Amino acid sequence: MWIEIGHFAAILALLTTILQGGAAVVGGALDRPAWLRVSRHAAFAAFALLTLGMAGLEIAFLNHDFSVAYVANHASTTLPTFYLATALWGGHEGSLLLWAWLLSLFTALAAWRHWSTHPRSIPWVLAILAVLLTGFLLLILFLSSPFERLFPIPPEGRDLNPLLQDPGMVFHPPFLYLGYVGFAIPYAFAMAALITGRAGDEWVLATRRWTLFSWMMLTVGIVFGAYWAYYELGWGGYWAWDPVENASFMPWLTGTAFFHSVMVQERRGMFKTWNLFLITSTFALSLLGTFLVRSGVLSSVHAFANDPGRGVYILAFMTLVLLFSFGLLTARSDKLAAPARMESLVCRESAFLFNNLFFLVASFTVLLGTLYPLAIETLTASKVSVGAPYYNKVFIPIMLGMLVLMGVGPLLAWRRASWEQLRGQFLLPAGIGAAALVSAFVLGVRHPYAFLAIGLIFFVASTHLRDFHQGAAARMKQEQVGYLLSLFRLASRNRRRYGGLVVHFGILAMVVGFIGSGLFQEERNVLLKVGDSLRLGGWTLTLESVGQQKKRNWQALEAVIQATHDNGETLQLRPQKRVYNKHSQPTTEAAIHTGWREDLYVVMGDEVTEGSWNLRLYRNPLVSWIWWGTGILCLGVMLALTQGRRLRRKTA
Amino acid sequence: MKDLWKWLLLLGVGAILGLFALGLGHDTRAIPSPLVGRAAPDFSAPALDAGPDLRLSDFKGRWVVVNFWGSWCVSCVAEHPYLIHLGRQLVGRSDVVIVGVDFKDSVEDARRFLARHGDPGYRHVFDPRQKVAIDWGVYGAPETYVVDPAGVVKLKHTGPLPVGWFESVLQPLLTAAR
Repeated sequence: MWIEIGHFAAILALLTTILQGGAAVVGGALDRPAWLRVSRHAAFAAFALLTLGMAGLEIAFLNHDFSVAYVANHASTTLPTFYLATALWGGHEGSLLLWAWLLSLFTALAAWRHWSTHPRSIPWVLAILAVLLTGFLLLILFLSSPFERLFPIPPEGRDLNPLLQDPGMVFHPPFLYLGYVGFAIPYAFAMAALITGRAGDEWVLATRRWTLFSWMMLTVGIVFGAYWAYYELGWGGYWAWDPVENASFMPWLTGTAFFHSVMVQERRGMFKTWNLFLITSTFALSLLGTFLVRSGVLSSVHAFANDPGRGVYILAFMTLVLLFSFGLLTARSDKLAAPARMESLVCRESAFLFNNLFFLVASFTVLLGTLYPLAIETLTASKVSVGAPYYNKVFIPIMLGMLVLMGVGPLLAWRRASWEQLRGQFLLPAGIGAAALVSAFVLGVRHPYAFLAIGLIFFVASTHLRDFHQGAAARMKQEQVGYLLSLFRLASRNRRRYGGLVVHFGILAMVVGFIGSGLFQEERNVLLKVGDSLRLGGWTLTLESVGQQKKRNWQALEAVIQATHDNGETLQLRPQKRVYNKHSQPTTEAAIHTGWREDLYVVMGDEVTEGSWNLRLYRNPLVSWIWWGTGILCLGVMLALTQGRRLRRKTA
Repeated sequence: MKDLWKWLLLLGVGAILGLFALGLGHDTRAIPSPLVGRAAPDFSAPALDAGPDLRLSDFKGRWVVVNFWGSWCVSCVAEHPYLIHLGRQLVGRSDVVIVGVDFKDSVEDARRFLARHGDPGYRHVFDPRQKVAIDWGVYGAPETYVVDPAGVVKLKHTGPLPVGWFESVLQPLLTAAR
């Protein structure tokens, strides 16, 4: 019953969305406010209806209603309630519905918030968003409906894929989608700016928070995915440069470039066409991400829906959106001339320019690596794969270059920086960086990238700390208050700037994690009998026993490993090989001990000969810095988000 | 010249979309096997039916269809009706023989599978430790190899054999070799 209500609501939502788009175009083109109001309310209605649709499906899940095909394929009576509730996005159809629902939510929010503040843009924003939502709803209703009934009704469902029964995977898709879908709003504003020919600063100011929010969500989504891969897939790493991982990383890169270069437009009126290009590309790459996952055009662990019919539809839809957007951009770009020019090579603008260059080269590298195998396969019928070696080779130097800019950029003056100023600002941090290089060398770091990265990390951290310290010290003198209070006031007066710097600290922490785990991982692949032990890093690991474990919907073989560090610390690791009742393929549950210095990571393999077990053991230095860094990054973005549109002038 | 970037941009976007359009119909799971064109790795392994051990070299002089499967494999269930059909089709032929390789499995599970879904009638190698499967570079299940009378791997099929595979793929090979 509920599922039919949900289905019906989704169909109505499609009609309402078409109405929203049509009314917006008529209202915008002919200047009819009444039509616009219809469009706006249609956006609200579509959101309400899709919420009902989601609720219908969710209720079917919670009631174990296996007469619904989607529920029967992704749930079972033994599935724990938490995973039952989130199994909604455990498959293709449901995740698309989630996508559409989020898009309708954001559309409704945009219609509500920007209605009176951006009357010129709003008709076209509503129209563009309506087209996007219509595209997704058509796909959902006609090609991949989660509302289909199943007959005969199976007594038991096929259960959720065991790999998805993990908190990391529960949160990965919604956050990623929040990011992807969130970029639709800045994109719609950009298109509206091009259509109305007023590509001034209005759209930039209107979309700053949307962009930041989406970027944060995308970051969190990507990191959740990495976290899931790390904890659940059991190969010791978190990022494999898989095509679909790349697909989420590309919009992240262009999005990052976008909200940096948009600052230049805001302050100096430059880079207008460029910014439009960046946001269009960001959204286009988000669509590409969805397309890659959903069409199965690239082989990948993620390509679970190998269905050319859907693929053709998504490709047609994407072609429409991309050709329209980039066509509009090229047709209208002549209207946007920059009033200002770059005045000097050493200034904030040029730092941003180089920042953009790096990010664009980075995303192009990833795009090339992702599409190259497809091109080779399509054109020559042979098979290649592009893996970590390629990306590491091109990506680490780019990352180091970005670190340099990150240290220098925020402190440079707009327009023109003087040499005296530069010397005063960078002498100390450069000294600290150099000292770090020397100590790294003394401590025995010989890997060239690691070596450079250590120096740069200290350099960037000290430029940023210096910035905080100077601001706080000046304020302390001026206002006669304590250091901490003045630090707090400093950050709260200019939340955009200091939020941004906090984000940089988060990125630094993540880089520490990437360098540590990427370049200094130790791996052992061994056969152990009970009682055997081995050395790994400073640890002695002993296989104590192997036994059985059982839970509600799985049973497992579990090894118990005693680990003793040279400094006396002891702990126990229990890696498992689980078999979920409905699935015969076993999954590995790696045992992970997390510390701030290193992770111990043990994966259980097969019993190779009687009584001896294959175990893979890893020592991953500094991995947890990635997760903590992401937390810091989020705090920074949230700080920046709390500030309104106008940049407050510095009082000091 | 000033507008060059516009054309380059549109060209780039068009090229990417075109690539997807071309790549869409492609079966991304078909992985070319390095074995094709080379001598098939011989095996000598216990049979599932407790009869004498099976050896690939026993079939020298005949075409051999080697089908890798397991009772744990979902797609194998979908493939099974065609294998039964194929088994019947090839009964009594002196030039072609089918051999199954049941890997990563237990005898009980495998026999239950055959009892439940039907026995295609040909013999199976029992390969619980995946020795044969690893030698042959099996990637998943089901996978099917065709070995010619000289013992050279002629082709590999990844995934369930489609209905009509014998007529459209194997028969032309046999005819061409004659």
